[in-house]
Amino acid sequence: MNMGLVTASAIHRGALATAAVAGAFVLSIASVLLYQHATATTNDPWKSPQLLELKERLQSAPKDEAVKARIRVLDLRFRQEYRRRLQLAASGGWLVLAGSAVLVLALQAAAEAKKRLPQPRPDHEAAVRALRLAVWARCSVAVAGGIGLASMLVVAFGVRSSLDGQAGALLAGAAATTPAAGLPPPAEFARNWPRFRGPDGGGVAVGAEAPLQWDASTGAGVSWKTAVPTPGFNSPIVWGDRVFVSGATKENREVFCFDANSGKLVWQCRIELSKAPGAKTPDLPDTTGYAAPTMATDGRRVYAIFAHGDLTAVTFDGKVAWTKHLGVPKNPYGHATSLAVWQDRVIVQYDQGESGPANSKLLAFDGATGRIVWEKARPVSSSWATPIVIEAAGKTQIVTLGVPFVIAYAFADGAELWRAEILDGEVTPSPIYAGGLVMVVNPSNILAAIKPDGAGDVTATHLVWKADDNMPDVTSPVSDGELVYTVNSGGMVTCFEIKAGKKVWEHDLETEVQASPVIVGRRLYVACANGDTVVLENGRAYRELARNKLGEKVFASPAVVGGRLYLRGLTNLFCLAGAEAKP
Amino acid sequence: MVRRALFLLGSGLALTAGAASRFPPPDFEGGHQLPVTTTPAPRELTLEYLDAAVLLATLALATWLVYRPRSRRGLAVLSVFSLAYFGFYRKGCVCAIGAVQNIALGLFDRSYAIPLTVLVFFLAPIVVALFFGRTFCAAVCPQGAIQDLVLVKPLKVPLWLEHGLGVIPFLFLGAGVIFAATGSAFLICRFDPFVPFFRLSGSLSLLTLGAAFLVAGMFIGRPYCRFFCPYGALLRLAALAAKWRVRVTPDVCTQCRLCEHACPFGAMRNPTPTGLALETPAVERKRLSWLLLLLPVLIAGGALAGYRLAPAAAQLHPTVALAEFHLANLKSPATFPPMTPEALSLERAAADPETLLASARVIRQRATLACWLLGGWVGLVILLKLVALSVRVTRTDFEPDRGACVACARCFISCPNERVRLGLPPEPGLAVAGPVPAAAGTGGA
Amino acid sequence: MNGHPAGSPCSRRQFLRGGARLLAVTGVGGLAGVLATRASAQTTRWQIDPAKCVRCGNCATKCVLKQSAVKCVHAFAMCGYCQLCTGYFEPEPNALTTAAENQLCPTNAIKRTYIEDPYYEYTIDEELCIGCAKCVEGCSRFGNGSLFLQIRHDRCVNCNECAIARNCPADAISRTPVGHPYRLKTEGH
Repeated sequence: MNMGLVTASAIHRGALATAAVAGAFVLSIASVLLYQHATATTNDPWKSPQLLELKERLQSAPKDEAVKARIRVLDLRFRQEYRRRLQLAASGGWLVLAGSAVLVLALQAAAEAKKRLPQPRPDHEAAVRALRLAVWARCSVAVAGGIGLASMLVVAFGVRSSLDGQAGALLAGAAATTPAAGLPPPAEFARNWPRFRGPDGGGVAVGAEAPLQWDASTGAGVSWKTAVPTPGFNSPIVWGDRVFVSGATKENREVFCFDANSGKLVWQCRIELSKAPGAKTPDLPDTTGYAAPTMATDGRRVYAIFAHGDLTAVTFDGKVAWTKHLGVPKNPYGHATSLAVWQDRVIVQYDQGESGPANSKLLAFDGATGRIVWEKARPVSSSWATPIVIEAAGKTQIVTLGVPFVIAYAFADGAELWRAEILDGEVTPSPIYAGGLVMVVNPSNILAAIKPDGAGDVTATHLVWKADDNMPDVTSPVSDGELVYTVNSGGMVTCFEIKAGKKVWEHDLETEVQASPVIVGRRLYVACANGDTVVLENGRAYRELARNKLGEKVFASPAVVGGRLYLRGLTNLFCLAGAEAKP
Repeated sequence: MVRRALFLLGSGLALTAGAASRFPPPDFEGGHQLPVTTTPAPRELTLEYLDAAVLLATLALATWLVYRPRSRRGLAVLSVFSLAYFGFYRKGCVCAIGAVQNIALGLFDRSYAIPLTVLVFFLAPIVVALFFGRTFCAAVCPQGAIQDLVLVKPLKVPLWLEHGLGVIPFLFLGAGVIFAATGSAFLICRFDPFVPFFRLSGSLSLLTLGAAFLVAGMFIGRPYCRFFCPYGALLRLAALAAKWRVRVTPDVCTQCRLCEHACPFGAMRNPTPTGLALETPAVERKRLSWLLLLLPVLIAGGALAGYRLAPAAAQLHPTVALAEFHLANLKSPATFPPMTPEALSLERAAADPETLLASARVIRQRATLACWLLGGWVGLVILLKLVALSVRVTRTDFEPDRGACVACARCFISCPNERVRLGLPPEPGLAVAGPVPAAAGTGGA
Repeated sequence: MNGHPAGSPCSRRQFLRGGARLLAVTGVGGLAGVLATRASAQTTRWQIDPAKCVRCGNCATKCVLKQSAVKCVHAFAMCGYCQLCTGYFEPEPNALTTAAENQLCPTNAIKRTYIEDPYYEYTIDEELCIGCAKCVEGCSRFGNGSLFLQIRHDRCVNCNECAIARNCPADAISRTPVGHPYRLKTEGH
């Protein structure tokens, strides 16, 4: 008996010691595996932010051998670490398993050695306890069931669903955004550059790429270069393999279609002056010219408006579909507001007069026929900003700028949705919509962010923030939804943070800028008046990635489609496809 | 070449399958032979039948071991084999627990053909349980085996808590069936804590969950089987109707109470105490009638809760989840994060938003009906469990609860009569106790 | 209802149990009958439909295996054997060499072999491939689309619910009969 106890306690001690060793072994291996798992996010070759950053840096400095060497070293190291991690995970798993088996067996042996047999005593309370047990059991089942039901409700109220509640409105909204028969789907619209400053008029090329470097003096990175026969300050628009620009002089108005691949002129279409009564050619300064407004396309026709007051639709094979005379605009510099296109409609913001309201209006035309769908008088004088069409607060809104109001209209019927009185001077920069905010520039004064979900006069209620550093007077802001950039005529680039309008950085390019900037992915393209395009990093710190020469003055904003950047110089249209595009 | 590629990019990113001829495949002058695209074969079909055969064989062997030699050691060895075969060799992925969902999906989705092996894995343990009790749990199920084998020093879970937690498997079963039937998700597989161990790989959260279950399982017998396993819930029901049952003693129960603490899984039940009848049949009848009155209330309440759950539950379905993303994106387009998987699918996938929303609405309707049912099921489960706890059961011997017993055979050896049968001496520690007084068990009779 | 195991309740209980068992056996039998008509001797395997795949990259990270069972495979008959393979090289390659900074593949899993001027052959080393779809993206957007993702059945453990399928935004992964476990791209498709 005694002997048995001694052996039992010896076994117990031995087993416990074994268990301790096995436990320590399992713990150490497991912690190594955990450490490997934790570092995997930054060290896995396809996730490493370090490698990504280096590769981006190499793009801006292709000749930097040090960067190349660094990439090679890191790449090799990460790949080796990844393989090692895989091997370790496999062998480590088995080791942990084996260690755990030993641990459990040792603990079982220890427990067995210490096992004491039950010594039952008579139980006189059995009946009372049985009864109490039944009561408690019923309670615990009720509580468990209650917790089950309650957790169902907690999940139910904790998870938001858009299919519910506003589903009807949203679905109707979605239905309203389906294209009319014969029109290309919205996705195709978004892939092209169908109007001034891209699909949404914000100057952002979603999911696209653009070349980093070119030099027109050597021809490097220039895919093609074609002279545009008639002058115009309007920016190119792109649909598929066609690039459109317009040009006009006092006597002559023309629309040009170029082949996006070769730069060859596919067709040019001369637009006759309207024969409507009162139609005449105004006298205008050269700084604006007769073809300042950028055209727009719905993928079936292109639409152009000239300073003469004629709105024209041209088919994709170069035939005039229809022309409407809107009356010669009373505009001191000449009409410069570009067209907007949304679904099957062409939106024309036609502001005029030098001070106070003077027959300014907003019109929606049916693109196929030229019929006016609706027309709204506007309480503003001349402006040169281009309207944008946004989807916000469950509605499709047209946001317009004029003096003194920002006004949003319902796309469906032109009803006014909201207005804010914050503009004065010569309103030229166009509004943008990003991060849920409409951002407008009061020239040389302020940048203001408005929440577009109000009604009536929202000046006091929906203005989220204002900023006033280095405000532009001509160019429009641009934003990726996190940061907002402005560039003024003097070349001062300023970056704001979109939440509160706090200035993040500013930098003086020290050159004149007339074209609006464009964001493509992590890059910001600023086309300067002297023809240089400065490529900056779209980020929280100023970093210049490239400065590319064109050798020709630039006043029009770039268009970005399918990895190419189209830039209209004073006389030539350029297609830039990057340094690697040399055949 | 890049220029040409970029042109094609410009003319539409959506170009996918039809783009085979951008760069015509070359004619090699040197007569280069094209390599062949390899297609490694999946596991042989005959091996799948082998799985089913192994299941049937182990099931038969386990049943025989429980009833004939009544051998715990035999069951332990068989557990190790099952763990090795169904667990580590088959990676836990032909499994009776998960098969519940395949059956549910097959019943409601006519396009899904249930593989025969899965059918066998689902049915065989139930049929066996209808006659012999849960011998599948004893030594065939790898999930059960791994928990059974890590048991070190079982602590007793109070019986009332055991009953309360015992509700969970039925709720889990309901949820698993509902979500599988609507084609939303295989929840039971998704939250299986042991399969990542069998694969030696898995998400950190699941591995942690599994480790927690195993560590807990060292001190609380089979925590997953008792408090979570949905297939266990089905087998528990089947075992209640079993023709034969596991008995502690091979002979006559002497009411020695030695087996009272032998069960690590809380399945042992004491004989009904007699003498003091503390509750009159009238009280019991009254309680039962109250419970029956409560039945429609509970079911309706549960169904209502289920109805509220539907919008959230439907989002487990990938189509609905994508539609939700799309709608959220419609609400505030600025938050659209480009190049995320969801954005890519909206941009590139063949399905347009309209069809997506339409099909999401159909699925939502189906999910709503399913959630009504799930809620009703929750109410029903609670009530039936309460009724079961209110019905007087008369036991004369110490015996394992038919439903809860997993036939692990641990209690057998604690019985002095079993030791006599096996020709073993009484347990050494028992020497002082001598012949056990029969009076001990029946209280003050 | 006293403490005695009186014969009647006991046999009554047995009778009830027998009835329940009969009911259950009939039920299970009926279920088996219904299911047998829908069951199939063929089991299924998970596979990607390359026509639906949107190359999002989930395949590399969502598989339950440490190194995904999804690999890039190459339909050689569709390949243009380009010198500048957009599945092999970064979008703006620094040089057309195999150096790390030019390669798209993060694990160096594509081997580039010179065949004859100007053709190069690209083969996938499945040991190294992680199924991240970077090359598939490059080849599909700019090239012939001859690179695509497939679940490799020598690696796949055939989970009851495929974790990648659950996370696939394009619903491109579905069960396929075990007799035709691959969906290969072919010419003209």
